[in-house]
Amino acid sequence: MAENREPRGAVDADLDPVEYTLRKRLPHRLPRRPNDIYVNMKTDFKAQLARCQKLLDGGTRGQNACTEIYIHGLGLAINRAINIALQLQAGSFGSLQVAANTSTVELVDELEPETDTREPLTRIRNNSAIHIRVFRVTPK
Amino acid sequence: MGVSFPCTKFISSIPEMSNAKERKHAKKMRNQPTNVTLSSGFASERGVKLHNGGGKPFQAQQQEPHSGTSQQRQTRMVPHLLHEPDMNEQSSSKIMFKKKGGWKAGSDGTTQEIPKYITASTFAQARAAEISAMLKAVTQKSSNSLVFQTLPRHMRRRAMSHNVKRLPRRLQEMAQKEAEKAVHQKKEHSKNKCHKARRCHINRIQEFNRRQKKNIWLETHIWHAKRFHMVKKWGYCLGERPTVKSHRACYRAMTNLCLLQDLSYYCCLELKGKEEEILKAVSQMCNLDTGLTFAAIHCLSGKRQGSLMLYRANKYPREMLGPVTFIWKSERTPGNTSESRQLWIWLHPTLKQDILEEIKTACHCMEPVKSNICTPNPLLIPSQEESQSELADEKIGKKRKRKDDGDNARSIKKVIGDGTRDSCQPYSWISPTTGIVISDLTMEMNRFRLIGPLSHCILTEALKVASVHTGEEDTEETPHRWWSDMCKNPDSVSLHHRQEAVFELLGGITSPAEIPAGTILGLTVGDPRINLPPKRSRALSNPEKCQDNEKVRQLLLEGVPVECTHSFIWNQDICKSVTENKISDQDLNRMRSELLVPGSQLVLGPHESKIPILLIQQPGKVTGEERLGWGSGWDVLLPKGWGMAFWIPFIYRGARVGGLKEAVVHSQYKRSPNIPGDFPDCPAGALFAEEQAKNLLEKYKRRPPAKRPNYVKLGTLAPFCCPWEQLTQDWESRGQAQDVSLVASSPSGEEGDLKRHWMPPATEKSHQSSDEVGTSVNDPGEPEVMDTERQDQAGAEMVMDQGAGENHVAATSSQFCVLRSRKLLKQLSAWCGPSVENSRVVRRAASRGQQELTTEARLSILDRFPRALVWVSLSLLRKGSPEPLTMICVPTEEDFLQLSQDHHYCGPQEARHSDPFKSMILKQKEKKKMKRRQNRGLAASTGVAVGCPAAGQGALTRGLWSGPFPGVISHCSRVLLGFVTQGDFSMAVGCGEALGFVSLTGLLDMLLSQPEAGRGLVLLRPAASLQYRFARIAIEV
Repeated sequence: MAENREPRGAVDADLDPVEYTLRKRLPHRLPRRPNDIYVNMKTDFKAQLARCQKLLDGGTRGQNACTEIYIHGLGLAINRAINIALQLQAGSFGSLQVAANTSTVELVDELEPETDTREPLTRIRNNSAIHIRVFRVTPK
Repeated sequence: MGVSFPCTKFISSIPEMSNAKERKHAKKMRNQPTNVTLSSGFASERGVKLHNGGGKPFQAQQQEPHSGTSQQRQTRMVPHLLHEPDMNEQSSSKIMFKKKGGWKAGSDGTTQEIPKYITASTFAQARAAEISAMLKAVTQKSSNSLVFQTLPRHMRRRAMSHNVKRLPRRLQEMAQKEAEKAVHQKKEHSKNKCHKARRCHINRIQEFNRRQKKNIWLETHIWHAKRFHMVKKWGYCLGERPTVKSHRACYRAMTNLCLLQDLSYYCCLELKGKEEEILKAVSQMCNLDTGLTFAAIHCLSGKRQGSLMLYRANKYPREMLGPVTFIWKSERTPGNTSESRQLWIWLHPTLKQDILEEIKTACHCMEPVKSNICTPNPLLIPSQEESQSELADEKIGKKRKRKDDGDNARSIKKVIGDGTRDSCQPYSWISPTTGIVISDLTMEMNRFRLIGPLSHCILTEALKVASVHTGEEDTEETPHRWWSDMCKNPDSVSLHHRQEAVFELLGGITSPAEIPAGTILGLTVGDPRINLPPKRSRALSNPEKCQDNEKVRQLLLEGVPVECTHSFIWNQDICKSVTENKISDQDLNRMRSELLVPGSQLVLGPHESKIPILLIQQPGKVTGEERLGWGSGWDVLLPKGWGMAFWIPFIYRGARVGGLKEAVVHSQYKRSPNIPGDFPDCPAGALFAEEQAKNLLEKYKRRPPAKRPNYVKLGTLAPFCCPWEQLTQDWESRGQAQDVSLVASSPSGEEGDLKRHWMPPATEKSHQSSDEVGTSVNDPGEPEVMDTERQDQAGAEMVMDQGAGENHVAATSSQFCVLRSRKLLKQLSAWCGPSVENSRVVRRAASRGQQELTTEARLSILDRFPRALVWVSLSLLRKGSPEPLTMICVPTEEDFLQLSQDHHYCGPQEARHSDPFKSMILKQKEKKKMKRRQNRGLAASTGVAVGCPAAGQGALTRGLWSGPFPGVISHCSRVLLGFVTQGDFSMAVGCGEALGFVSLTGLLDMLLSQPEAGRGLVLLRPAASLQYRFARIAIEV
């Protein structure tokens, strides 16, 4: 997932790149329920949309359809998460509603030393995230 | 078939033969000598008459056997004649038939006359000879099938192969013989013990101990042997891959769940001594250039595991020994340098021999005899000799095994640890000068690897931290003295509780990749067999645990505190006592069955074993940009003897087990080199390549020439091994030729122009590439000069230049090396990417003080590493999944052009090469045949002389290049850059991916000549294909 650009510049400024290598760690993740969808920028947009649609529709007869799903997007993928949610809503003829929440996620950057005498450092960097709840409403 | 018919009956049976039978008979007679083509009995008779004038019937008799066949042929040609019962009549009728003109006489075409008379005696003699020949043919079994298999279908009976009496009586004798033969071929069971006795526990253990004398068994061997394809490798019996079809399932386990591997075959070397002494010794063997060394501050404190490359002392960058991981024991009192420290070096068994020797040399612990200074056993050597002589005696005695039984009857014990090690063989060395003690702790510990995000859940569910003894219980004597002693110390108890708290936190973290790489956590756990679930199930993460609190955050940021890395596993005595005081499975199960409420929790109280363990986080994929943290997990170190006690609980929590193949897949998807195959510059890697080549060649030769690829025609010089030596050498001489001509005073431009006119087509490309360089450098003066120079070298003077290059090589280095300098690799990786794509990268690179890719930069690098290889990863642009030993080649201008024009362009094709060896082999065959014929004709005395050249020619194999290779890199239409060592369709990425080595010189040359947009594109071609495929090269640091 994409990262915020401002903190990076700051990191670059006060650390000698010859002495440290930047290694980005995975964001801390909570255990995933079946109706949680984490959106990324690598998978095809259509595939992710189809996946969400499938979850909402359930099987062939709709036996285990979810009444609500959560779409999570981090950083650059926020756009796409919103896009997916809106597409779902537009394609549902009014039976789906969305509710968005935003949050800030702490990301850990590890700075690996290149010399023996330095300790490895960790930096915390903040990134915005969005959590969209897409749920079914009974049409009147 | 041993059938003997009476003669008369046989003769009369000939005309009665049915068609099928007759065909069979014809088949049998086919093998008879048939140089007489078509002559009936009469013809031969006539021959007698004509040639011998009726006087000498002797020769006629000799010819008679052939007439049998001819007659037989006749009968086939005129089947309607067969109904005639009488021989004479038959022959006469034939003659009549001939007269009608329907039948042509023998090959000579002479007209035949009706014989006036038949001499009875000659005729009968002739028939007798015929009959004897037939009988002979009938008794010989032509096929190598069993007797009952030759019977016609309607005569076959059920279970004929077992019961001889079901066969016709005339065949029973032969079948009996065959059955006896088969019995002899079968493996004999040990006669002295019945099945029940063999299954008896003591006998089984004895048998198992005997079987693991040569190749060490891991503690989980029997579990593995039931479920895995086992291989004998590196002195161990290891599970290669599961027998169930599980390639994809294992991948999924690595990505989403948990894959378990037994890595107990990894070797551990322990260095004990003063910190500075150890550091001084081992620092010669590593270089800061390749990454952090043993002295890295976070590793030295014992907080993290480190990994590095070992070289022979002060030989960097040559003479590589292998990659290792190491952990320091955390010091109790930080800052006290005089304290004795412990260092464990973990390495692959193939590297052990070299590294152990080198460390011993570096620490001046050369001679194991020196160990008698510290360990007072001067009797060690004589006792060793004694035992050896005893062994020799036993070997002479026939009933050696029996005698052993007698001796060891009371002390038959399961072999734990290294069963192959002679107890007298030293495994510990000391240095008198530095005081360092090196010990070989191979098989003293178990190492299990858990890969995947579920490993946290499995660990926290399977392992329960040991309960602390309170004072009251201590009155009764328990075997776990060390633990009760520990519990008396309040500091240790509080440390134990802190470790427990950290361990509990792990359960709330969903992936091991979130924790700092190489984190170490020491623990003391209770017996994991006690809370084994009744059924296998999958451990699931508990969402309640996953609260995002401050403690978790602390753990993620700073890792485990240094104190918590302490574990009693570092203490050999405690480990020994833990191993010895293990409650056996049998006892445990008995206690469980004696429980009042069946199925309830077994409470052993202070009698429960306490096992010190060490958990080490393994970072997954840390290099590159994508799939970060993939394949991360935990390694669990256990004292020996406890392997199965931990193995089963892990599996019962939902871990899937993988073998060596899964380990290869893991390293491939992590894009990390696999040990030892991907370390061509270390001795183990060379050995591996040799073995691989041998196996592949054997496999190749097993197929007939028409059913295997002709590698000569495919233009593959070395289909079974990667000729790194020659590749680097060729590239060096090529590069050097360019440099030499650059440095030397340039000849006049006209000369260059002249050369350009009659330039061979091969140099066309280099011309273009030099043009490319010129434009990219943007130097107005230089390109022209370079142009001519490059042509110079590429032209006729190649030979001379090569000679010069060779000299230089001899001066600088004799061997190739793999580039592991992190600085250079970083620079290369920046150059490899298409830099036009985003200018941000360029800016960042510039800000980091990285150079632009220029010829000067190239020269400065090549000066330091004239013959180097670079580890690269390749991902295919479009189609294709590469396999090992695929060639990496440099694309030409036209390829780029076509790629940009055609969106479905897969890649160019190599033109079929001619095979100069095929005709040679054919000629040799001809010669051999001729000679054989001559041999047959001549006396045997010449045979010796003929045999010698034939033996020499045997080296040629059809479809393989023989003799020394011509220029490796320019053998095909695209210039060779390197080879793939691992390659497959990657399920992680969804396209073909490969890992391999390319020549540094070649890579720089290629990058310089390529346009900015398409920089880093190469072509891949498998050994058995003519199709090139595009791939993007990447260097991940």
